[in-house]
Amino acid sequence: MADVAELSNDWTVLEQKLRTFNRLMTTKASIGLTPKELIWTLNKAKLYRYVPVVPPEERHPVPLLLIFALMNRPTILDLRPGHSFVEYMVGRGYDVYLLDWGVPGPEDKGLKFDHYTLDYMPRAIRKMKAVSGCAEFSMLGWCIGAILTTIYASLRPDDGLRNLLLLTAPLDFSARQELTFARWTDERYFDVDKVLAAFGNMPGEMIDYGAKALKPVENYVTNYCKLWDNLDDPRAVEAWHAMNTWVTDIFPMAGGAYRQLIVDLYRNNRLMKGELKIRGELVDLKRLRASLLNVIAEGDHLTPPCQSEAFLPNVGSADAEIYRVRGGHIGIMAGSGAHKLTWPHIDSWLAARSR
Amino acid sequence: MAAEKEATAVDPFEAFRGMRDTYLEGMSKAMIDAVNSEEYAQATGALLNNYLTLSAPFRQAMDKAMIMALEQFSLPSRQQVMALAERFSNFEMRLDDMDAKLDRLVGLASVTRTPPPEVSTAGRQNSAPNAKSHSAGKKS
Repeated sequence: MADVAELSNDWTVLEQKLRTFNRLMTTKASIGLTPKELIWTLNKAKLYRYVPVVPPEERHPVPLLLIFALMNRPTILDLRPGHSFVEYMVGRGYDVYLLDWGVPGPEDKGLKFDHYTLDYMPRAIRKMKAVSGCAEFSMLGWCIGAILTTIYASLRPDDGLRNLLLLTAPLDFSARQELTFARWTDERYFDVDKVLAAFGNMPGEMIDYGAKALKPVENYVTNYCKLWDNLDDPRAVEAWHAMNTWVTDIFPMAGGAYRQLIVDLYRNNRLMKGELKIRGELVDLKRLRASLLNVIAEGDHLTPPCQSEAFLPNVGSADAEIYRVRGGHIGIMAGSGAHKLTWPHIDSWLAARSR
Repeated sequence: MAAEKEATAVDPFEAFRGMRDTYLEGMSKAMIDAVNSEEYAQATGALLNNYLTLSAPFRQAMDKAMIMALEQFSLPSRQQVMALAERFSNFEMRLDDMDAKLDRLVGLASVTRTPPPEVSTAGRQNSAPNAKSHSAGKKS
């Protein structure tokens, strides 16, 4: 009888696990919940201002603009209540803005870094300055956002940029042997023009496969095994659900920008060589004079540390710092340890420079 | 008795989990080495290239057929809609620039319209000869 009861109990536990697993696979978690208001739009891009929670007299006067990559949602910066970088910074008294690039359509296949840095960003920044009432601002760029913010900071150093924070910035492509993406997109193997001629924009499914194929067993098998093992832990389950909701929200990258990423950066390393031209203007890193914090993830397999390490000597910033932190490409900002390591460091660095 | 039984209960899947994790760790290292190889890059590049080459005629035929069908129904083609969308974006940009100029003008106008602060005449009988008077129309 006791054995039957035990069996029944085990079956109930298994059934519960299966229900939870099914819920996680078939539903989306609510992410990006920190209150915000839309203050500007252009094409698919949207600029949001997060509702301040600190009284104006206690707030940092210099606003902070967050810019993420072009092929993922920026909700990774605001994953869930209690585990949100945006929520953290708003609570620390920053006037936080987020530039959401949106999802490019077929009509956007011609969008390049030129458009993002010289059409979209200046207009968004102009609006942010008007709303915040401050002529100076700080900017945080993560992943491809770091490329865009670096280009902007070098081309428009006198536009009021006081502080620049770069997270896992893929800027230096010289160590090609260490870059799996560089190997895959080598001109001998990957005809980028043929792909873009067929699809217009670079399909999100292909970008997603590329990112996951760097660690195929972890991403396609171990990830789900670990989830199964932790299905009894509600906190682990909700954390997984939120992250998976973000990871699976894939969309294309504008064809022009993708082509520049592959040809100008991955294949020819033009930014670091001082050869990158944006709408005819040469991107001179020496013109980048803002105070600079370069955050490097030591366990980053998407953007290995070598892609950010050699960057600092090339800029004109007198105040520049590298901060190395344990963690992966996304984990340093959205992982369980982010609120203990990366976020407080960003806050203390920025607070001193936002008065 | 039940508590003792629970304490000594063995998870039948524990050994399996251990084996599973060991196997996955080994497979992971092997797969990472494999995807980092030149052969893998060459193979995936060739696969993609072949797919694009083989599918190109079908895609082109589909595009032509779709354009003809849309024309028959007097509906715009994808290219036409895309061109329209591009023009909308340009409109938006110009509107945004006009909005910014208007904001600037309103700001300047509010600065010039702000009445000057009233000057107190008390203790000012021996004022400097070059001092400007802001009271227009008033005769001393």
